[in-house]
Amino acid sequence: MITQFLSDTWLLWLLLSVGGLLWWGGLDSQYVNYVFNRYLLALATLLLVSGIVFSLMEVLPGDCAEKYIAYKNTQGETITEADIQAERVRMGLDKSLPERWGRWVTNLTLRGDLGFSCAKRQSVNLALGNRFWMSFMFCIAGLVFAYLIAVPFGILSAFTINKPWTDKNPQHSKLEQLAGTAVLSLQKVVDLLLRIISYLGLALPNFLLALTIILLYVFAGEPMPTGLFSDQWVNVPWFGPDGFETGKFYDFLGHIWLPIFVIGWSATALQLQTVRALVVDESNKLYVDAARARGVDGLTLWAGYPVRHSISPLFNSIGFDFQRVFNDLPIVAVVIGLTDSAALLIEALSMTNDQELAAAILFLVALVVISMNFMTDVVLAAIDPRVRKSVLGN
Amino acid sequence: MNALLARFGRKSKQTKNDESYYTAGQMALIKARFKRKTSGVVAAWILGTMVLMGFFAPFFSPVDPTIRGADTEYRRGAPQMIYFWDENGFSLRPFSYTYKKVNAKIDLRALAGGGLDALDAFTSSGALSSSSQNKFEVDKTNRRYVQFFVKGWEYSLIDLSVGSLDLDFRSDRHLFGVEQGQIHLMGTDEDGKDVFSRTLHAVWVTISIAIVALIVKLFVSLFVGGVSGYFGGRVDTIMMSITEAVRVIPPIPIYLACAVALAQIDLTPVQRYFAIAVVIGALDFATLGRRLRTHILTERNQDYVLAARLCGSSTRRIIWRHLIPSFTSYIIVDTLINFPYVILAETSLSFLGLGLTEPVNSLGVLLQKAQDPDIQQNMVWQFFPVLVFVFLIMAFVFVGDALRDAADPYSEKK
Repeated sequence: MITQFLSDTWLLWLLLSVGGLLWWGGLDSQYVNYVFNRYLLALATLLLVSGIVFSLMEVLPGDCAEKYIAYKNTQGETITEADIQAERVRMGLDKSLPERWGRWVTNLTLRGDLGFSCAKRQSVNLALGNRFWMSFMFCIAGLVFAYLIAVPFGILSAFTINKPWTDKNPQHSKLEQLAGTAVLSLQKVVDLLLRIISYLGLALPNFLLALTIILLYVFAGEPMPTGLFSDQWVNVPWFGPDGFETGKFYDFLGHIWLPIFVIGWSATALQLQTVRALVVDESNKLYVDAARARGVDGLTLWAGYPVRHSISPLFNSIGFDFQRVFNDLPIVAVVIGLTDSAALLIEALSMTNDQELAAAILFLVALVVISMNFMTDVVLAAIDPRVRKSVLGN
Repeated sequence: MNALLARFGRKSKQTKNDESYYTAGQMALIKARFKRKTSGVVAAWILGTMVLMGFFAPFFSPVDPTIRGADTEYRRGAPQMIYFWDENGFSLRPFSYTYKKVNAKIDLRALAGGGLDALDAFTSSGALSSSSQNKFEVDKTNRRYVQFFVKGWEYSLIDLSVGSLDLDFRSDRHLFGVEQGQIHLMGTDEDGKDVFSRTLHAVWVTISIAIVALIVKLFVSLFVGGVSGYFGGRVDTIMMSITEAVRVIPPIPIYLACAVALAQIDLTPVQRYFAIAVVIGALDFATLGRRLRTHILTERNQDYVLAARLCGSSTRRIIWRHLIPSFTSYIIVDTLINFPYVILAETSLSFLGLGLTEPVNSLGVLLQKAQDPDIQQNMVWQFFPVLVFVFLIMAFVFVGDALRDAADPYSEKK
């Protein structure tokens, strides 16, 4: 009996024990105390988010009882108004909004139960399956793609900002000046190209980019890389009779790049600009001059001072970057024909009005964003001396 | 002012201590710094032209872009070129030709006698496909000369009427047109509506949505940021945690839910349009609200606030008259930078079919067509709005970027 109760409510105990540990550790460590505060704040935000999401879903037309009755209707049973009312009472839909919200939250925290999807007639956990993980991986891959391109090229672009197009240094010989001019011009051209690309990335919304790529495939007469697999591989399991299906894997790679590229595109453009602005800001600071005066030079100077300090705000914004990328995912999913949770979200919101499913997906996204924010705060306070100083006093 | 501009010009550096530089107001400084950035100035001119053309869209468009002005003789028609000369000679006045629809020849006699095989051959010949439906014959002997300031359908240039005051300036002059029939610079759509005119109208509809949304956003974030920053303490904690919670949820699904909810209510297209703008604006307050709050938190301890309070100013007056104006330039720049994002939000909604819908000319509605395979293959000219859209957003981004640099008081060092 007790073990049953404990295993049902494992999530709550986990949350409480982490909080308790942090509180206990915070008694004699300022840093752990800070982490404890962030933990409480994250939980409070999560609670607020669940409230907002839940009340938002109330504005969607229809409720679960009506959908259930409509489903029954298709089975050939005749239904009266009284049946609908009875069904409402059975589902607890006659209760007030706060009461139902409370039940939703307790179900969630006590059992990790996300609710019941009315349109799909199965529990949300089952309907989602690993689709949320799929979206999660899409977003993470898009972000990694964005960072891998944006950070080095943003820094490169920032290098050029104070430099002229031509090298007129009188200490250089004519040949050196010519070579210097060539290098400087090349850097400037690269910078210009990057800026144009990043502006295009901001101006061309993801769905248009996806459409353009698909159009190019249409004109080229190639099969479109929509969906996740080609028709011949869709129903083949990953592990066939003769081991791992490498053919399926290659097919998967041939399709997966499109969503990742499309999602990563605008994130890349934004990050490129952010990195550029941050590095430029930092490179004007006095500590860079001081380091230069001490004789630190070249790449060591850049990597050790301005770049290092501009990466931490970027790291800090990973949570919101994830949110922004997920924000674009539903429309991309519609255009490309994905079947992940973002596509499910669009379906739930605009076609089937499936409140619980939509609420669950939105809540999961918020959960990911909040935990990412929490973790980056904790890590940053530990490693970045400036943040440590501002949050811990000394 | 000239001296000020000279100060920021590339040549003269000796006028550094010019008095006008030190006495210039914030706005004059921003303006002068902005003018130094060529890309920003060019983008601003392009943007201004586009917005003006959008605002006076009926004047600039040769054809009424509603179903009333649809050209039933020229459905799914390709863009009509404008020429100055052809094999018949040169003309100072530009002209285009008369286009006549070619009816697909269907040999019914062969069909009647040939049985199923003939029917098969007929259906596979493509005579019924959409690409063979929009074939037009160019009548080169029948020129249509382009005329300027022609009379056309009547429209309202600026409608300033408030209540019983009738200030509706109406006009029926259009910048250009042809004497007979219509001219379609960018072709027509399935109903024969002119794509060029539709796009011009759509630009203004989209921008006005963004303006309404940004005004709503401004008020919400001024309220949240002002109150939260000024009072601080517990009020601040509560308001900021709500803001944080709103910031964490991805916005497009929220807009979607609101749009679906709006669909239940019986709204006219115009009301729906405002409702969508208000929803987009009201949910977008988080970033600006937070910045404002941080700014006010630091500003409220300044001496001038204490002085104002000692003089007996009310809290509302201190926030509105003293604290928020110190932040005006940032607010203006932020609003301009946010223009493209609000436009993107609207187009995304319309693209999914949940924002504005077909008879309305908005860029999102026109972009939605790009998804149609028929249009992708047979009516490529309907991608013209996509180009205009990308140009518009690019212009906004460039102007916003240059303005951000100009508004940053520390950018002089760079």
